[in-house]
Amino acid sequence: MVHLVTAVIKPFKLEEVKDALKGIGIQGITVSEVKGYGRQGGHTETYRGSEYTVDFLPKVHVEVLCDTADVDKVVDAITEAARTGKIGDGKIWVTAVDRVVRVRTGERDLEAL
Amino acid sequence: MLTFASSDRSRTRVMKPPVKERFKTNIKDKECRRYFWVVLAGKMIGLATVGALIFAFLHFFGAHAGATTPTDPTVMTGQDHLSVNTQIQVNAINTTWTLITAFLVFFMQAGFMFLEAGFARSRETVNVLLECVVDTCLCMLLFWAFGFAFMFGPGNGIIGHTWFFLNNPPTTYPGTGVAFYAFVLFQYAFADTCSTVTSGAMVGRTGFVGDLIYSIGVSGFIYPILGHWVWGPGGWLGTWAHPVPFHDFAGSTVVHSVGGFVSLAGAMVLGPRIGRKFKRDGGGPLPPHDLTIAAVGAVILWFGWYGFNPGSTLSAIDYGGMARVALNTTLAASAGGLAAMFFLYPRFRKWDLGISCNGALAGLVAITCPCFWVNPFGAVCIGLVAGVVVVLGVDLLEHLRIDDPIGAWPVHGLAGIWGTISLGLFATGQYAASGPYGPSPDGFKGLFYGGGGKQLMVQVFGSFCMCAATFAVSFIMFKLIDMAGILRLDRDGELEGMDLYEHGTTAYHVEFGYGSTSMSPPSDDGVTVGSHKPVKTE
Repeated sequence: MVHLVTAVIKPFKLEEVKDALKGIGIQGITVSEVKGYGRQGGHTETYRGSEYTVDFLPKVHVEVLCDTADVDKVVDAITEAARTGKIGDGKIWVTAVDRVVRVRTGERDLEAL
Repeated sequence: MLTFASSDRSRTRVMKPPVKERFKTNIKDKECRRYFWVVLAGKMIGLATVGALIFAFLHFFGAHAGATTPTDPTVMTGQDHLSVNTQIQVNAINTTWTLITAFLVFFMQAGFMFLEAGFARSRETVNVLLECVVDTCLCMLLFWAFGFAFMFGPGNGIIGHTWFFLNNPPTTYPGTGVAFYAFVLFQYAFADTCSTVTSGAMVGRTGFVGDLIYSIGVSGFIYPILGHWVWGPGGWLGTWAHPVPFHDFAGSTVVHSVGGFVSLAGAMVLGPRIGRKFKRDGGGPLPPHDLTIAAVGAVILWFGWYGFNPGSTLSAIDYGGMARVALNTTLAASAGGLAAMFFLYPRFRKWDLGISCNGALAGLVAITCPCFWVNPFGAVCIGLVAGVVVVLGVDLLEHLRIDDPIGAWPVHGLAGIWGTISLGLFATGQYAASGPYGPSPDGFKGLFYGGGGKQLMVQVFGSFCMCAATFAVSFIMFKLIDMAGILRLDRDGELEGMDLYEHGTTAYHVEFGYGSTSMSPPSDDGVTVGSHKPVKTE
């Protein structure tokens, strides 16, 4: 079985998360720049003397496909690496994956990771 | 604060009870009365100090001191290519030429802003741009107040001390025929260039307050005083070794080496940006965020150089010199850009844009000193070497683990040294100095043109003195600012990006909806990015 671990983290924590995942043997991750807000609800910026609220903060979206047996290890690694202890550290969620296919060879599921 | 005299009246008038009550009780309290007198005395002392300062200012820099300004042009040696012979009237064409080139040199600020912002990361773009704007403003005011006086005012060999606040100026800057204020503006544009170069190697991690303080140090003191040594009237480097004085036509050493070495000292005291790994640790430079902007910036700088070098003749009547300088400048830049690109190609078999830009700039920096005295063939040789020097300089910084995001030291510091020395090799002996009414005939020859090694030795010595002095003074300055704890931005700010942390906004906003902003604070427990304080909810 394969699970998908998705994390939304602070942009400057990406390097540490990547190193942590490499450290536990994860071979590939997909990242994208995203914007959003959670309980923190955006932040304030100033421009020409006015203060305004930017509702959507820049975050990095990390997706990791892994063996179901490794899910806890992956989640712990991301949690440890991405934590600053301050508001806005992000979230991690795990979903089951029906099928994984490697495009080049047609391998399926665990072989395709 | 209420005074005792007004107290009677205040009792008779209808007043708001709290004030009246407070006053009634306070006036009976002995401690309160003592406090009142202490505050009043403090204010008086403050007023007296300000008054004394104003008086002292007027006394030292005002009409009395200015009246002793020497007006005899023979005491001046001027910028070292100026021949001083007769009392010269204002020359309209020379003044016009000087003003036009001053505007061109000023426009180099736009080039620096583009180049530095493009080579930086997007998170520090606002910081880089603001730094350049503030430098430009600050430098003008400092140059007006005392920078010009230190640099070009008559004084001794070390420092000038006339024309503070440009008081009692002569009609023309002695020996040039150029209107005094045009000359000031032209030299200000040079000072501004130097002070902007310094910020290049310090991008991405310098706190803004530290930035302001070192900018005052560079444009108010380091550049004008060191510049006086070479270009100031009676400066010791410019007059030393007579009859083979140190030459620097438009400032390879005075402007660029000085700027480059200040930035090197800054980069060393600051240390690398967080996350910057060096080549021998398995890393490389942090990638630039916008090479389009950076490349356009390099070309704008090149354009500005047509003011920098040809304008330094300060004379449009020396049309031969003006044209020769312009051509040599272009040749050296072209040779430098190509040399750097081809020299780097074999390493990864890739044609590199960033190094080509810096190579062309290195060629420009190098030709700045010798442009008046070499022929086109010499200019090409100087440019070619400069292009190679800049690549080796980048490698050296990488090896020494010094983080210079823009390449300010290889381009301005190293190529500046090469350009200064190259004059001792390539001077043809055909041209001596640019004068207000044309060139003077007696020239000096470099090593390759049968002039022997004397000029070369003088150039090496001069360049060494200027670079060593700049590095020593600026290193001490940066160390002091660093010890005060304001030079380097704190870790949180650097990680989140200087733009948001120090300036409250980013340069690039991705626009969702109406621009993803609203004027009201968020309803939940939001945060202010810089301070991590929650936004107040209403």
